Amino acid sequence: MRSFRYRDRGTPVHRLNPFGKLAWLGSIIALTLILDNPVFLLLLFISTLPVVRAARVWSEWRSSIKFTAYLCAAIILINALVSSNGATVLFAFPFQMPVMGTPVITLEAVFYGAAMCLRLLAIISAFAVITFTVHPDDLMLAMIKVKLPYKSVLVTSLSTRFIPTLIDDTQRITDVQRSRGLELDKGKLTHRIRSRASIVTALLSNSLDRAVQVAEAMESRAFGTGRGRTFYRDIRLTRTDTATVVFALLPFALGIYLAVTGYVRYQYYPTAQSIAMSGFEWSLLALMAVLLLMILPLAYLKRRVDLD
Amino acid sequence: MIKIEDLTFSYSDTARPSLKGINLKIGSGEFVLVTGPSGGGKSSLCRCLNGLIPHFYGGEIAGRVSVGGMDTLKHSTKELATRVGMVFQDPENQLVSMDVEREIAFGLENLAFPRDLIARRIEESLDTLGIAGLRYRQIHELSGGEKQKVAIASVLALHPDILVLDEPTSELDPKGAEEVLSVVTRLNDELGLTVIIVEHRLDRVLQYVDRLIVLSEGEIALDGGVGDIVSRRYQELSRLGIGVPPLLRLVNELKERGIDVGQVPLTVKEGRAVLDEVFQKVRGELALTGGSDGSRTLVETKRLYYTYPETGLTALKNVSLRIDEGEFVAIMGRNASGKSTLVKHFNRLLEPTKGKVYVDGTDTGKATIAELARQVGFVFQNPNDHLFADTVEEEISFTMKNLGFDRAEIEARVDRMLAEFGLEEYRLRYPRSLSGGEKQRVALASVLAVRPRILILDEPTRGMEYRLKCELMRFLKEYRKLGNTVVLVSHDVELVAEYADRVILLSEGKIVVDGEKHEVMSRALLFSPQINRLAQAFARYGVPGNILTVDEALAIL
Repeated sequence: MRSFRYRDRGTPVHRLNPFGKLAWLGSIIALTLILDNPVFLLLLFISTLPVVRAARVWSEWRSSIKFTAYLCAAIILINALVSSNGATVLFAFPFQMPVMGTPVITLEAVFYGAAMCLRLLAIISAFAVITFTVHPDDLMLAMIKVKLPYKSVLVTSLSTRFIPTLIDDTQRITDVQRSRGLELDKGKLTHRIRSRASIVTALLSNSLDRAVQVAEAMESRAFGTGRGRTFYRDIRLTRTDTATVVFALLPFALGIYLAVTGYVRYQYYPTAQSIAMSGFEWSLLALMAVLLLMILPLAYLKRRVDLD
Repeated sequence: MIKIEDLTFSYSDTARPSLKGINLKIGSGEFVLVTGPSGGGKSSLCRCLNGLIPHFYGGEIAGRVSVGGMDTLKHSTKELATRVGMVFQDPENQLVSMDVEREIAFGLENLAFPRDLIARRIEESLDTLGIAGLRYRQIHELSGGEKQKVAIASVLALHPDILVLDEPTSELDPKGAEEVLSVVTRLNDELGLTVIIVEHRLDRVLQYVDRLIVLSEGEIALDGGVGDIVSRRYQELSRLGIGVPPLLRLVNELKERGIDVGQVPLTVKEGRAVLDEVFQKVRGELALTGGSDGSRTLVETKRLYYTYPETGLTALKNVSLRIDEGEFVAIMGRNASGKSTLVKHFNRLLEPTKGKVYVDGTDTGKATIAELARQVGFVFQNPNDHLFADTVEEEISFTMKNLGFDRAEIEARVDRMLAEFGLEEYRLRYPRSLSGGEKQRVALASVLAVRPRILILDEPTRGMEYRLKCELMRFLKEYRKLGNTVVLVSHDVELVAEYADRVILLSEGKIVVDGEKHEVMSRALLFSPQINRLAQAFARYGVPGNILTVDEALAIL
């Protein structure tokens, strides 16, 4: 079974401090929310690609994006069917609906759906970088550092630890039930769902057994002594790390400036505005691109500094 | 060090006590082997030693357990963590971090040790276990044996005086098991750690331990020095259903025939010395009974290749074989030699990358897994993977329902299977709440209910106690009497030597040897049973070099 997990590929992106990467992710998510100009949204997505490349996580990234692509198709379709805000009618259905009148598909609704997808793609792509380049335990440490309670963080980290095990279990149990004549992909939907019940039940029971055993083992290793806890590994912020965090937040700052001043504002309905921008707005786009990509030179710089 | 007085314990959901009137003293530096039938109370005893009973597992407890002067009733498991290190059966379920270094740090962090002390302890544990090379490796990349060594290192880092290991090797392949046991032996030998180990396979550990305790039905049935038990109390040992190493059986059978060799050998080396005189007098040949009569081929592979699409790893290379009606074939080989990959082709769980597989003359590429399920039954290692239904009855009828048997037929067959496998009283019980042996029976019954002509078992006896193994083999014998074929994937050399007819040895995805078991398993080093390794030494006296089992040895003596 194909399963993607964190693997230390030793690239500069992997070496980058988790706080820096999290700040970068935060910036991108925030920007997808405050900006609505499709050119900028496209930039957000594209700007993650060099980072993916530098981190050498293409195959992992591709599988995340493939899944998102299905979701995108659904988003565009649903938005086109449901929203009748646009003025440019591409297609009118040959029947009437109560209240709504004649349902239509408009160019603007399709376009708006596509822009939504760009948002989603940018977020998923940035998330993929985090998932596949930050050691789960480091992620846990980072969360503890920002004062999230240890126990809930540990539960999250434990569940990542057991994902490979769970995948193996699923594969094994599926093999068992298939060799007992269970046909998963035959018959009606209800049948298909019911046929998976045997697998899910066995899987759940196995996982429960595991959970008890894990708890028992943790208890035996003095978990929860109540005297507080130390952490052997620490993520310390060096000067370059702090710089990374600051630089990673710069695109977000620029985004706020754009939102407040109203530059590059964009209107989808009723008629989609032209994507033509003024010279100054193009410069802002270029600036945004530079700020978004700052994370890469910083990563390489950090490696240089670490080596010294 | 450990003192147990009148300990009786029952889990809160059961009426029958799991431990009854246990009195036990274990001194500092002792190496104690605890064995006995499953459900005999071995795990419960372990859990009492670090306070998991009664602090984690509730129930009714009477008596006293004191470990290094600490009463386990008054002190919690967490407090006892620096006294007693516990290592469990499944390495997968006791490792909580992503990499080795952090795993070892986990317990130390819980105890709020300062960072420099943690660093020192990690270094020390890695060195003691000889796994410094694994330090930065991810847990999920490690082999079973390596994981178990990490588990030991991580409890050792807390500097316990006592190491308790509850069946640490039963999930491991022979090589992993060997590595873990040699590490444990060294810990006892060189560091003077008190070690209590629960283990089914006596031949692996008997030569190292000082003391043997047999727990049966919650009571101590036998307790004494190893030398004393194997020589003077052998009868008691075998009556309790403990699987003794073949060498031990041989010597004791000889004694019954009036040939007393004096000292009881625990290793093949000792055996060679002790039995030299006995074997000098032996002449004769081993009469081999013919294998298959080649009546009808049930499984055939032709130039089979298989490459895992995810990893690009070629697991099978040009495998051509035929398995006939009525054969008992064992498939052996190191880990990742392609054994499981091969048998998964027999019912099309995997499809050949190249080549063909035929079952009873039908190209498996033209049939579905479900269609093949009428012909090919598949039993996997862990019965828990089989069991999901609410009742035993439902579990057994599952395969038949999938295959569209009619109702009356299903009912009749369920009744028959319940009777055959002695499961009638459990008909309406929840299968997963049954004991290990009963679960195995339910899984087997559910597969055999459709009466497949070929039964594949993938490591069914790993971690299984001796009595259950014998029981399983008895069922297989019955099944074969009907002219059916058994294909067994196994690491268990002694089991294969005893029961199979033919052995196929795989290595790196290729068939290395395929032949009658006596030919394949003699002179095979890693795959030779104990008796054969002994017989090899006496070949100069004319002892046939291909005897494999105690009975064969006795036949020529």
